[in-house]
Amino acid sequence: MSNQYDIADDNALVIDINNLTKTYQTGAGGISVLKDVNLHVRRGEMVAVMGPSGSGKSTLLFILGLFQPPSTGGYKVAGVDVLSLSRDQQAIFRREMLGFVFQSCDLLENSTVYENLELPLIYAGVRRRERPDRIREALGMVNLEHRLHQPSNRLSGGERQRVSIARALVNEPEFILADEPTGQLDRENSLRVLEYFTKITEEARTAMVVVTHDNMTAEHCTRKCVLTDGYLNG
Amino acid sequence: MAIGKRKKITVAELDRIRRRGAGPLRYYDLVLVSIREVLRKRRRYIGVLASIALGMAGFIVIITMGNDLKKNFNNDLDLLGGATIMNAMFEQIQLERQEWFRERTLAAIGRIPGVLDTTKVALKASAVTTWHDRLFGFNLVGCEANYWKVFSFNATVGRLFDQQDVDAGARVCVVGADLARQMFGQEDKGLGQILSIDDNLYTVVGILGGVRAGDRSQFVFLPITTALARVGGVSQPYSCYIRCATWDDVATVAAAVPGVVKANQPDRGLRVNVAWEPLKQVQRIFWWVELFIYSSIVATMILGGFGIWNIMMATVTSRTREIGLKKAMGALDSDILYQFLFEALCVTLSSSVFGVILGRIGIEYMSRMLGTRPPEGMFVLCLLMGLAFAAILGVGAGLYPSIRASRMQVVDAMRYE
Repeated sequence: MSNQYDIADDNALVIDINNLTKTYQTGAGGISVLKDVNLHVRRGEMVAVMGPSGSGKSTLLFILGLFQPPSTGGYKVAGVDVLSLSRDQQAIFRREMLGFVFQSCDLLENSTVYENLELPLIYAGVRRRERPDRIREALGMVNLEHRLHQPSNRLSGGERQRVSIARALVNEPEFILADEPTGQLDRENSLRVLEYFTKITEEARTAMVVVTHDNMTAEHCTRKCVLTDGYLNG
Repeated sequence: MAIGKRKKITVAELDRIRRRGAGPLRYYDLVLVSIREVLRKRRRYIGVLASIALGMAGFIVIITMGNDLKKNFNNDLDLLGGATIMNAMFEQIQLERQEWFRERTLAAIGRIPGVLDTTKVALKASAVTTWHDRLFGFNLVGCEANYWKVFSFNATVGRLFDQQDVDAGARVCVVGADLARQMFGQEDKGLGQILSIDDNLYTVVGILGGVRAGDRSQFVFLPITTALARVGGVSQPYSCYIRCATWDDVATVAAAVPGVVKANQPDRGLRVNVAWEPLKQVQRIFWWVELFIYSSIVATMILGGFGIWNIMMATVTSRTREIGLKKAMGALDSDILYQFLFEALCVTLSSSVFGVILGRIGIEYMSRMLGTRPPEGMFVLCLLMGLAFAAILGVGAGLYPSIRASRMQVVDAMRYE
């Protein structure tokens, strides 16, 4: 396995986690949530992380998203040791390289679809005239161009999740993190979302980690890992 | 397709982006986002917006109209106390000839800064007249046409003699209200009657009225030219009245009068009488009124500031998850800080704009009521001061909530329910 990140390589290693642990300190001592976790995800791979409630899925997701640091271990994204970055550098890294899809969709209320997708572009300093094309392209990936100026609170659950996916894509990330992306959707909408995920990983060769406890979602992934008692298997 | 475009980022590149900072483009975008947020959640801000706008309007009206208001207050309060009217007179010293005010002296007094008007009087105490075989005694005053203006007198019946009567030495007189009632039974019955004073006949053209006319109700007034020419025993104008523009001018004018008189004529026996006690009382009343008004304005502004602070704190709490989401999308701490700060500024500045509009309407209305025109420069100055104050208020009240929002940990914000 090479440590160098080759942008020409269709199978380059994007996520490289080695011997990662996370221990929460409480009054009664330390609670180990993640123990010696190793995870390697390459371009075009969609990896499902499964596990029962309280198994540490969310903690792993927050560490992957640079929302919180691990206790020990190494974590590289696209060849960059992200744990050594400052708070601001991590924020910039997140907006340039990562995309997020959350279970609760988390669209900005009282805002249109366009405004929801524009915000990551504003933070990334994308020029005003470039934004409409980028937003249309991202919405095109989830077939929602016709909802461009629709207020987000007038969208159906499935549409909201698709907007959330488009927002994760709009900054052209190297990998996408999805937290229970089908958790609040019916079967039909879940299948549609998973088809978009497959399309994104196959066509754009984006790496994806999907945290889920839904078997149907896991079956659509290229690989499945299970978190049990803090250990990641698979 | 741009999505899926290969990207590689190095630590050096991250540092370069961080050092480059937000840049004007992103500030502009953040301002637009903030304005959009405030507009969409405008109902939340209505109370605080109204409070700041009213405070600002009050501030602008009081400061811009302050001088005109003071003059108007001065007029109204002066009717009760005559605090801005002072009397300068020459006393008779032993057997020496009594001095009186020369024209050039009065003109020089009129030029002292803060003097609104001057008028001289000639007096004859214990004058008499007969009416229907009855003898009436009174004080006779020979005065100029502006005497009425200096004391804010008016006529309850008929008219007060004017400059034309004074210039012509007309044989007309104005009678005090009590004397008119005693002589004619009713005030209006005296109008047009002929009075004989010192073997000359005078037509009664008016009966004296006005709030302060009470202590002159037994007087008869003749044009000063007529009195000096026709009435025996009338004094030279050894007494004059000086009306100041505001009560703040009284002390300086009173101090300046002796010097001005001395520069123009002998000042032997000169005495300047000022009603210091009424003046102090009027000043005290106005000081309390001013204190009350300014305290109200400051209290309104402070309440507005607390309102902003409170609303922004509540906003930060209610939008915790949104903050987490924005940070997850790559917002820097400074992006969050500026967004909330711009929102606070947006509320205070829009409040101040409403305040300026309300203030302008207030100024126009009061100008018409007072019949004055405040200097436009003062309004512009107030406008700029108001906007500056709104900016300080916005930053002051919005800073802490904004810092709190910006320092929020992503993981805590994302887990917030």
